[in-house]
Amino acid sequence: MASPRIVQQGIKQVKPLMSVDRTEARRRVLNLYKAWYRQIPYVVKDFYLPITVKMGRDKVRELFLKNKHVTDIRIIDMLVIKGQMDLVETANIWKQRNHVMMFFKDTVNPKPKDFLSKFYEGQE
Amino acid sequence: MSLFQKIGNIGKIFRQNGGLVGSYLKLFRTDDLKWGTLVGEDKYGNKYFQNDYYFMGRNRWVEYPLSVGHDYDASQVPPEWHRWLQYIADEPPSQLPLPKRKWMADHTENLSGTERCYVPYSTTRPKVEAWVPPKNNL
Amino acid sequence: MKGMKVKTDSPVTRKAREGVMEFLLVNHPLDCPICDQGGECDLQDQSMAFGSDRSRFTDNAFTGKRAVEDKNIGPLIKTIMTRCIHCTRCIRFASEVAGVDDLGTSGRGSDMQVGTYVEKMFKSELSGNVIDLCPVGALTSKPYAFTTRPWETRRIESIDVMDAVGSNIVVSMRTNEVMRILPRLNEDINEEWISDKSRFAYDGLKRQRLTTPFVRNNSGELVATDWETALFDIAQRVKDANPATIAGVAGGQADLEAMVCLKDMINRLGSEVLCTEEAFPMINSGTDFRSNYVMNTTIAGIEESDLVFLVGTNPRLEGSLVNARIRKSWVHNEMCVVLLGAPVDLSYDYQYLGDSFSVLKEIADGSHPIAKALADADKPMIILGSDAIQHNNGSLILDTVKRIAKNTKKSLNHPDWKVFNVLHRNASQVGALDMGYKPGMDSLKCDKPSLLFLLGADADKLNNDDLHGNAGVIYIGSHGDAGAQMADVVLPAAAYTEKDAMYVNTEGRAQVGRQAVSPPGMARHDWKIIRALSEILGVSLPYDKLSDVRGRLAEISPTFDRPGRVEETGFDNVSDDVTIDKITHTGATAPVVPALLKLRDFYMTDPISRSSLTMAKCVQAYDEAEANPYSKPEAI
Repeated sequence: MASPRIVQQGIKQVKPLMSVDRTEARRRVLNLYKAWYRQIPYVVKDFYLPITVKMGRDKVRELFLKNKHVTDIRIIDMLVIKGQMDLVETANIWKQRNHVMMFFKDTVNPKPKDFLSKFYEGQE
Repeated sequence: MSLFQKIGNIGKIFRQNGGLVGSYLKLFRTDDLKWGTLVGEDKYGNKYFQNDYYFMGRNRWVEYPLSVGHDYDASQVPPEWHRWLQYIADEPPSQLPLPKRKWMADHTENLSGTERCYVPYSTTRPKVEAWVPPKNNL
Repeated sequence: MKGMKVKTDSPVTRKAREGVMEFLLVNHPLDCPICDQGGECDLQDQSMAFGSDRSRFTDNAFTGKRAVEDKNIGPLIKTIMTRCIHCTRCIRFASEVAGVDDLGTSGRGSDMQVGTYVEKMFKSELSGNVIDLCPVGALTSKPYAFTTRPWETRRIESIDVMDAVGSNIVVSMRTNEVMRILPRLNEDINEEWISDKSRFAYDGLKRQRLTTPFVRNNSGELVATDWETALFDIAQRVKDANPATIAGVAGGQADLEAMVCLKDMINRLGSEVLCTEEAFPMINSGTDFRSNYVMNTTIAGIEESDLVFLVGTNPRLEGSLVNARIRKSWVHNEMCVVLLGAPVDLSYDYQYLGDSFSVLKEIADGSHPIAKALADADKPMIILGSDAIQHNNGSLILDTVKRIAKNTKKSLNHPDWKVFNVLHRNASQVGALDMGYKPGMDSLKCDKPSLLFLLGADADKLNNDDLHGNAGVIYIGSHGDAGAQMADVVLPAAAYTEKDAMYVNTEGRAQVGRQAVSPPGMARHDWKIIRALSEILGVSLPYDKLSDVRGRLAEISPTFDRPGRVEETGFDNVSDDVTIDKITHTGATAPVVPALLKLRDFYMTDPISRSSLTMAKCVQAYDEAEANPYSKPEAI
């Protein structure tokens, strides 16, 4: 016999960020994806990026799919907000070329993990 | 100066610079067309002209050899011609050669921006002097 | 006086101090901005605390302030005698602690001068300490002159490895450079002094350094490579070698971490041939008992002793601070010193027994008067120099000395007092023996190793005849010295100021030295080199971090786990018995003489001091001083 208080806690709704249900969250994600998809040719052109439009769109897709395991609506909303902010910064050229290229991590060397590669690198 | 003289000068210019085509090429290379008397030539192939028809400051000039193409600059003028070109002397070195001393080095043009340009290097000693293995003593 | 009240901070006192300060400063130059003592000057501090805020010094006669000519007392100490305030601390140190009456005063009043009377070198192995003692900038360090200010440097507490005393030092570092080395107070070891080699050999850390790995090419020349190439080259050599005859040699300055890694790696490869460069006779119980090879009574214990019997050692040069301790006892406790060995100048008087082995045998038989003196003494000490037992008859000497020690113990009033002591010369020796390294390279020479790992072994005691035909030699060390020259692969390692490492001194006291600067170029910490190599050889050592290695050390011996403390050696009597039972007497008559006889020999004994320009200047200055007809040449 659950007491009314526990029942109340169990069905208690958390305050939504934007979306009230999964359908709405999904719609927001798709809208953001479409906006990025359409923006990519301009991004490539404006920033004079050394990539093709297809590569850019693949990267957008990859970054979206990176979070596909997320089911919490509030987290999805927050990610959408951040993605939106990123998009605005990119579209308005508040970013610089290297900031956009940072999505590709083409100059980032992975840090050595095991003893021997650390030894070769001269790190601790 | 009459109009005829001016037309005559244009004729001299074209004649001296090798006709219509030659003048066009000269204009393309030097952005200027002049006529004058050849005063001398140095060992680098620079030709020096004078024409007092032009105003002081423009009446002595140099034409660089075709071998340097468009890469000519004032540092290619050797010092003895420089003094004539800049009115330091009245007589060109072809008429009044300067004494040649044995310590005088050959003229070099400004090499900045070329492969042979001067690059400063560190003269500080390293903090740690590394061991140099002895050469083969077997 | 009874009932007297002493006020140390009353207005009158302060006023009096201000007056004294004023008198001092009248005769002191105001050159703090160009003075090396600036920032650590006692007079500066005093004048900040008690000095008047303005000067009343007016030079009415325009004669200038007092000025004194500078003295040249050698390549280590720079003198600016105008700054001297005549505190005479340097004189007292020289005559009381160092035992060299070179310094003194001449003249009276404002004409008084501190100096050496005639121009000569301040010939002492402890001379650098007067720099620390001088309260003003009159005596400063010549190599350190005008390099750094004390507030610019970072001070790292470390351990000295120039001898087996394990003096506590402070390494002053700036911009990844060792700027100077100062002593650190440790009443049990070095008190507040260090020897000149410890203090001034630091410029050897910047010369002759190995900064890249080298591999010998087909034409027999060492060529610089990268780590990967060098390690794989070694892997190939290990593959070609007979695993049972892979050998390792630990040099004089190897740290515990590197030695344990090397031992574990070579054991995993299937070999047991691990030895130290410095020999120790394996006669009788050999190094099985710790009491056989450490200084059992400890350095501080010297002060309790009333009779010290030195055998085949010159403690003044082999362990300068042990000698300073003996001298301290000799001065204050009326301790007697007896010496068998070379008649060297120890800075105190001793009874000299000659250098022949037969005397030692007589003492052991009890027919020599010293045997009785030892028996009558309250707490006698026998200090055996490690150098005297390096030779073939070393085992005989060791055996005889052990026998004397046993005989002496029989009549001892203090059952806990341990008579037998060994004074080692190398910082690594006791640690290596604790760890199970075999002393000396005789066993290695018998085995004819097919692959040899030298861990900083630079004493040049091996040649190619001792090795298997086409044996490879791998040198791991910090300096290009004898070891690197004979090596086929050279791996650059860190010197003692560049690594967190432990050393065990001659008392058996493990101590932790800390890293002050980073290793130069591609050099790496010694134990990491061996750890990386072991991974490539397919025998990975299970330690990735320094704490793991220290854990392994703690497994081996509890002494390694308790840095700073001396573990009392046990089984003292048992080891004596085991030793005495198997005497093998043969007629050995070679004199018992140590290698270091004169101060000249002291300056350059290891790779670091051999690379040091300052130490080379000391040798040069010594030779010039000896040639000077007006200075007394050193005895012997």
